[in-house]
Amino acid sequence: MTAQEVRLCGLLLREHFGEVVEKVGTHLLKGGAQNLRTIIHETGISLDLVKKSLCVLVQHGACVFRSGRKGAGSPTEYQTCCDRILRILRYPRYIYTAKTLYGDTGELIIEELLQRGHMTMSGTIKTVADRLTQNMEEGRSMDYSEVSSAFFRLVETHFLQRCPPLAGAEPKDSATPAAPSFPDCYKVPHVTLVGRGKRQLASEDGEDQRNAKKAKMDSQVGTHGDEGICWQVNFERFHLHFRDQAIISAVANKLDQTSSEIVRTMLRMSEVTTSPTATCTKPLSANEIFRSLPTSYNIPRPILDQYLTLLIDDPMEFVGKAGESGGGMYVVNMHRALANLARATLESVVQERFGSRSARIFRLLLRKRHLEQKQVEDFAMIPAKEAKDMLYTLLSQNLVQLQEIPKTPDYAPSRTFYLYTVNQLPTARMLLQNCYKTVANLVERRLFESKESKRLLEKSQRIEAILASLQASGAEPEQLTEVEEMITAPEKQQLEALRLHINKLDSAENQVDETIFLLESYINSTASTS
Amino acid sequence: MAEVKVKKETNLSDATEVENRIKQLCQQFPHGITDQVIQNDMPQLEPQQRAMAINKLLSLGQLDLLRNSSGLLYRMKDVQSASKMKGSDNQEKLVYQVIEDAGNKGSKTWIIHMPVRCASKKKVYMLYNLQPDRSVTGGAWYSDQDFESEFVEVLNQQCFKFLQSKAEVARDSKQSPMVQRNSSFATSHEVWKYISELGISKVDLSMDDIETILNTLIYDGKVEMTVIAAKEGTVGSVDGQMKLYRGVNPVIQPTGLVRTPCGLCPVFDDCHEGGEISPSNCIYMTEWLDF
Repeated sequence: MTAQEVRLCGLLLREHFGEVVEKVGTHLLKGGAQNLRTIIHETGISLDLVKKSLCVLVQHGACVFRSGRKGAGSPTEYQTCCDRILRILRYPRYIYTAKTLYGDTGELIIEELLQRGHMTMSGTIKTVADRLTQNMEEGRSMDYSEVSSAFFRLVETHFLQRCPPLAGAEPKDSATPAAPSFPDCYKVPHVTLVGRGKRQLASEDGEDQRNAKKAKMDSQVGTHGDEGICWQVNFERFHLHFRDQAIISAVANKLDQTSSEIVRTMLRMSEVTTSPTATCTKPLSANEIFRSLPTSYNIPRPILDQYLTLLIDDPMEFVGKAGESGGGMYVVNMHRALANLARATLESVVQERFGSRSARIFRLLLRKRHLEQKQVEDFAMIPAKEAKDMLYTLLSQNLVQLQEIPKTPDYAPSRTFYLYTVNQLPTARMLLQNCYKTVANLVERRLFESKESKRLLEKSQRIEAILASLQASGAEPEQLTEVEEMITAPEKQQLEALRLHINKLDSAENQVDETIFLLESYINSTASTS
Repeated sequence: MAEVKVKKETNLSDATEVENRIKQLCQQFPHGITDQVIQNDMPQLEPQQRAMAINKLLSLGQLDLLRNSSGLLYRMKDVQSASKMKGSDNQEKLVYQVIEDAGNKGSKTWIIHMPVRCASKKKVYMLYNLQPDRSVTGGAWYSDQDFESEFVEVLNQQCFKFLQSKAEVARDSKQSPMVQRNSSFATSHEVWKYISELGISKVDLSMDDIETILNTLIYDGKVEMTVIAAKEGTVGSVDGQMKLYRGVNPVIQPTGLVRTPCGLCPVFDDCHEGGEISPSNCIYMTEWLDF
């Protein structure tokens, strides 16, 4: 856990759960596994609040507990891992993906589960049905069965999974709380859930109380048979989906639409047969690919073979050939594709930051591995003085390293070769830390901007509330305009500018998160293959 | 009558006599004479005197000193060059010889012949009447010791445009993908012909020069290269191979990090909350937000 990661986790916890949880969480991040008494003592927060914070963290899977290291009788220890907390940054992307794949119902299911951490299936379905009903026209409501079917589909494709069973004291020595894929992970329990979503009406107090009582009785009467079985979002599955998307769009950019469709088909066919950490998919025969192509792509068989040959010949090596049976066996090289995408990311950063000539030098060093200064000047065709300047700038930013090869044992400078080189993996790690720092900067700026205009925001919220209540009770137009005019024009402008700023910062955070995802995938993929 | 052997009496103590005799011997044997020959001719000559005479002749530039497998050879020097050298001293003569031997590659020393433009800081001199070799002058990219970066840039852009338009034409032809890809390739010979016909270069460019330009395009990430086997005799093939170049599209859009001010910030490492440079008071962010 680096300082940047801890800082970013702290900001995310603060935004989503408040300052108390932030304090407890960052303390656990910095201090490793600790028991309850240590946490209370070192953070100075009361027992009650610490317990609640830990509950929140455990609920969201950010914290695991296990029996102490000193033996069976020692107090439970709690441990946090920053990976899970950093996922909070990616929530919008998960929700958007669910929306594109499974429509509004899927979107709301994922959103609910992300907000609550764990939830039973029946609870989720009911809440989502209510929310959907809220947005529908008067008199219509969402049936539970529709929501259930969406839920089943999400489980089938492994986007949702059951929470691991909370065994009392599992003597696990793993430091990171990995979501184990235990049997029954994706088994949907038999649930009796019949009904429709309920619309929440703006009713008076008496009616409210009656409804609340009714709801309580309902939940007691209607035990749906799935108590204790909680569900959570399967982040790894979403990450596999994002990785496939990145590869497909890279193929579309480099080659053309049809090639990307072929790669998409291949990836879809190997979704269930390939393990998440594999470097390439299982071999697929050209006949199978031909049969599984979407019907809208009506390309003849020889043309498909040509496309596959072109994919293999491409220097990016997206697809490889693994044999000749069945008309040719093809695999998608995922690790190589990720490495190429990470390299393109590094080159893009150098290009935007230092200019296209420095980018030329950077790409040259990536290709040729080790070069002397003179050779760099000659290959890149850049005048000596400028090339030297650019190399030294890149060296000072640690994007390029110097390798000494001595001719004599005493490393005398006049008798040593100095070679410039680029190491892709350490450079990617460094850029990843820069990304974390950037996101933290953006979040802080956003909080700062909101704080600056706090007074104005509160005023506008009050006025909106007044307007809403006036409208509901049927006020006249003059009253409404009078209330609206309580906000002056320059204040309106300021509010508008603030809204634009916050949106811009928000979308920038999502864009940097895309870079984070690419770099993290590459680093993890390299670590697991080496 | 008795034969009288008329021996040419050489006054052995007269150095000039010795020298003249040696010169005569050299003229007799134009391919060069060895020490042995001189000794045979003048057996009474002491080795010391012989050496002195030879050295004098050498320093006067009238004799050439050569070495062959059996030993040293002395040869009559060419009259023309001998007269040239009359005025110069020993060192210059040696140097002159080295330069001539080096032919058109030049050599690094300090005489008075034509200075030649060169790629490194070293000054190189060579004989006036020879053409300097490419490696010394730096080739087509240098004019009077300056690297012509604009010229290189222009060539770079022209080559890229040529390859790009070729790729576009291939794409629009809507033929089968293999044909499309193959027709988007251009050999280095084709590019060379195109550039020569454009006439933007006052210097003659060789195919190697064009290939170095195309390599810079590869390092720019705009072009890719493959090598194919070609029949000997096909236009543009070198050693049975041909290099093919093709314009390519970038594989990703500029990455998310560089779309934020922090990704391009020159003081990124100095920035932290509560410091003089912080996200809250960052001027780059303010500019970017108001854009």
